[in-house]
Amino acid sequence: MVFSSAIFLFRFLPIFLICYFLVPRRVKNFILFLGSLIFYAWGEPIYVLLMLFSTVVDYCLGRLIDANRDKAVSKVFLAMSVLTNLSLLCVFKYLEFLPLPIGISFYTFQTMSYTIDVYRGETKVQRNLLDFGVYVAMFPQLIAGPIVKYKQVEQDLHERPVDLPQISYGTKRFVTGLAKKVLIANNVGELWSMISASNIESLSVLTAWMGIIAFAFQIYFDFSGYSDMAIGLGAILGFHLPENFKYPYIATSITDFWRRWHISLGSWFRDYVYIPLGGNRKGLKIQIVNILIVWMLTGIWHGAGLNFLFWGLWFAGFLILEKMGFGRVLEAMPVFFSRLYTWLVVLLGWVCFSLETPGAILSYLGAMFGVNSTGVFDRQGLYLGREYLILLLIAAVTSTPLIMGLVRKLKNVRMGWSLAIYRLGEKLIPPILLLVSVAYVVAASYNPFLYFRF
Amino acid sequence: MDEKKNAVFTISLLATILLLFTIADLVDGERIYSEMENRMLARKPKFSKESLLSGEYSEDYEEYVSDQFVSRDKWVEIKTRLDILLQKKDINGVYLGADNYLIEQHLPEDYTEQMEQDKVAMLKKLVDEWDAQVMLVPTADNILTDKLPAYADYYDETRLLELVRASVGTDHYVDVYHALEDHREEEIYYRTDHHWTTLGAYYGYLAWTETTGQRARLYNMENMTTVSDDFQGTLHSRVPVVRTTDPIQVLPMVSSELHVTYDQQTTADTLFEEKYLSTKNQYGYFLDDNHAIVEIQTRYVTGGTLFVIKDSYANCLIPLLVPHYGKIYVVDPRYYNGSLSALMESVESEKGMDVLVLYNCVHFLEEFRY
Repeated sequence: MVFSSAIFLFRFLPIFLICYFLVPRRVKNFILFLGSLIFYAWGEPIYVLLMLFSTVVDYCLGRLIDANRDKAVSKVFLAMSVLTNLSLLCVFKYLEFLPLPIGISFYTFQTMSYTIDVYRGETKVQRNLLDFGVYVAMFPQLIAGPIVKYKQVEQDLHERPVDLPQISYGTKRFVTGLAKKVLIANNVGELWSMISASNIESLSVLTAWMGIIAFAFQIYFDFSGYSDMAIGLGAILGFHLPENFKYPYIATSITDFWRRWHISLGSWFRDYVYIPLGGNRKGLKIQIVNILIVWMLTGIWHGAGLNFLFWGLWFAGFLILEKMGFGRVLEAMPVFFSRLYTWLVVLLGWVCFSLETPGAILSYLGAMFGVNSTGVFDRQGLYLGREYLILLLIAAVTSTPLIMGLVRKLKNVRMGWSLAIYRLGEKLIPPILLLVSVAYVVAASYNPFLYFRF
Repeated sequence: MDEKKNAVFTISLLATILLLFTIADLVDGERIYSEMENRMLARKPKFSKESLLSGEYSEDYEEYVSDQFVSRDKWVEIKTRLDILLQKKDINGVYLGADNYLIEQHLPEDYTEQMEQDKVAMLKKLVDEWDAQVMLVPTADNILTDKLPAYADYYDETRLLELVRASVGTDHYVDVYHALEDHREEEIYYRTDHHWTTLGAYYGYLAWTETTGQRARLYNMENMTTVSDDFQGTLHSRVPVVRTTDPIQVLPMVSSELHVTYDQQTTADTLFEEKYLSTKNQYGYFLDDNHAIVEIQTRYVTGGTLFVIKDSYANCLIPLLVPHYGKIYVVDPRYYNGSLSALMESVESEKGMDVLVLYNCVHFLEEFRY
């Protein structure tokens, strides 16, 4: 089940929330767990067993690690946990003979963070299987993150007082995410799929750049919108889920970009791969090797295709460059140029990310740099440019902190009129966004093409 | 305190929206058929253990919920309005043209030279065997180019038409393109439907008489009558917010004595079926919508036989041909499954028969077969 569907918004969510808020506190985790299983099993009626298997295995291994603390055998249990999770990932994600279970890349990483932290003594062991089950299966973040580390929600699993402002924040956050997904991501996604489906060899420079910019916005608004919905739903239930995006497209270096993009994945790799390998404490050479390893893994975490590996290495290259001194050059530059550089690297990276074959990637890059005989502008580019200009501008503005800055200013200026605007906007915008998003969700099934065509 | 009040307001408003529509949707009855989409809507799926485990049940159920969602057409309207507000120039494959014209979009990449050559080779075989006349009607995007949104792309049908003319020869080629081009300022295409109007068909008819040497019957334009003025056609269904309506006009028949047989079963004494004028599909007024085979027996017993292979563009033109023939067979190969040549041989009279291929260019590429 995805959040942006009628079945979630008008069946699952209301029924679940009513049950959840009606039952006494000690039953809430049970309802949340049960609801999450239904949520997951709705789309994956068989693979839900896989998730339960992974949950039980890591629960047991966590307890075994804890019971054998400071003994050599605890290392064996940790290895078993890591191996189980990684083999699940490998079998389903990389061998590709079975359909991919939704969310497997997320929940295997979550459970690994748990056993590793228990082993390291950074978190207490969870003795309650139900509470642990809630951590793994909790539907807000189950299928698309953020990747929550166990220690981040340990407290919330036992005790999560929730007040009205938090619920209100959660609903607003959810609606924002829904709007980002269905109003912006889906619509710029249409532009990208149109351009990527046309003959790449005849794209004009304008069209090619517009296409990849559309993809950049699509993936950002899709993914960050989903994270917003997860964080919002979490907040309604009393959880404090970690932030996953911080305006990545205003980054002034690639290093900065990765502090703002899919933060929960980056921090997972930092805590469980980069730092254990020595991080930056063992000299530049080792650090470079570590960066290469981490970004290779980051790349292939996204999928089995070689393009994801190259995409990871592409970033590793620039990260290393920045570590070797280019970072200081960037800092000295006017922000405009350092942003331009970051945008360029990220956009070229998206070409590699979004197109699967080396042939397609190369011809797309060629199109961006004018190799095609079509020229800089053509009808297609001008037509699409005119049609999508407003949407792309909206996407560009809302991917920066401009609007939130404005909102904060309105709120903080202690003048009657600005506060009045703020209050009005606060009341009106969420319901409008919700209604408009619902229109897009419902209209997605409108299919007039079968209409008596002849 | 203020914060708390605001929180209550936001939560209750959003929760109300969700709950209200959930309940409204639950009590709302099921619709079987969507007239706007001309399709059956998904119904509640039957539950079984197998369908649940295979994931089929949940898929069908989701389809059911979205198809049956309360006031779905209104939501679609809201979405379409927003799309237009955001400056979308084409919606569901329809250009929003000037002067309230909706123009069906045909993109060049969808119609290759290979497709053209294959269909034209098929067509040439037919023309060689039957001495047939070919009438390919350009679609609105090729004629109403000045009504298209700026820079809008369209499949240029002149390439196909040149190929057809060169391959079947001028004697067999009815130049509808230039006939319509000359009258592009007139109401030759519907604003909300993908067909040409009766007026457009009349200009096509004139071009046909020129090529075939038939004497053009004097249809008096002043006698044109309007049978409906609230037609909103197929393109309106794809952009369901425009308020434009089209009139449907007919040129009165020179004679009304007809015997029409649809699909060798039902009969009628007219080519115009009033009953469609009260439905969404008003164009069905002409020749009772779509049939595999229509036989028209006219009172012009001295006239010969005509065999028309066609799409729905032909439906509003065929009435004009009635005074020229004693018998007209109309076959739509999309609905007729048998062999065309066998059918043609079986109905050919001793005196031979004329054969006419009548399609719009795009349907010709997509649907013509011989």
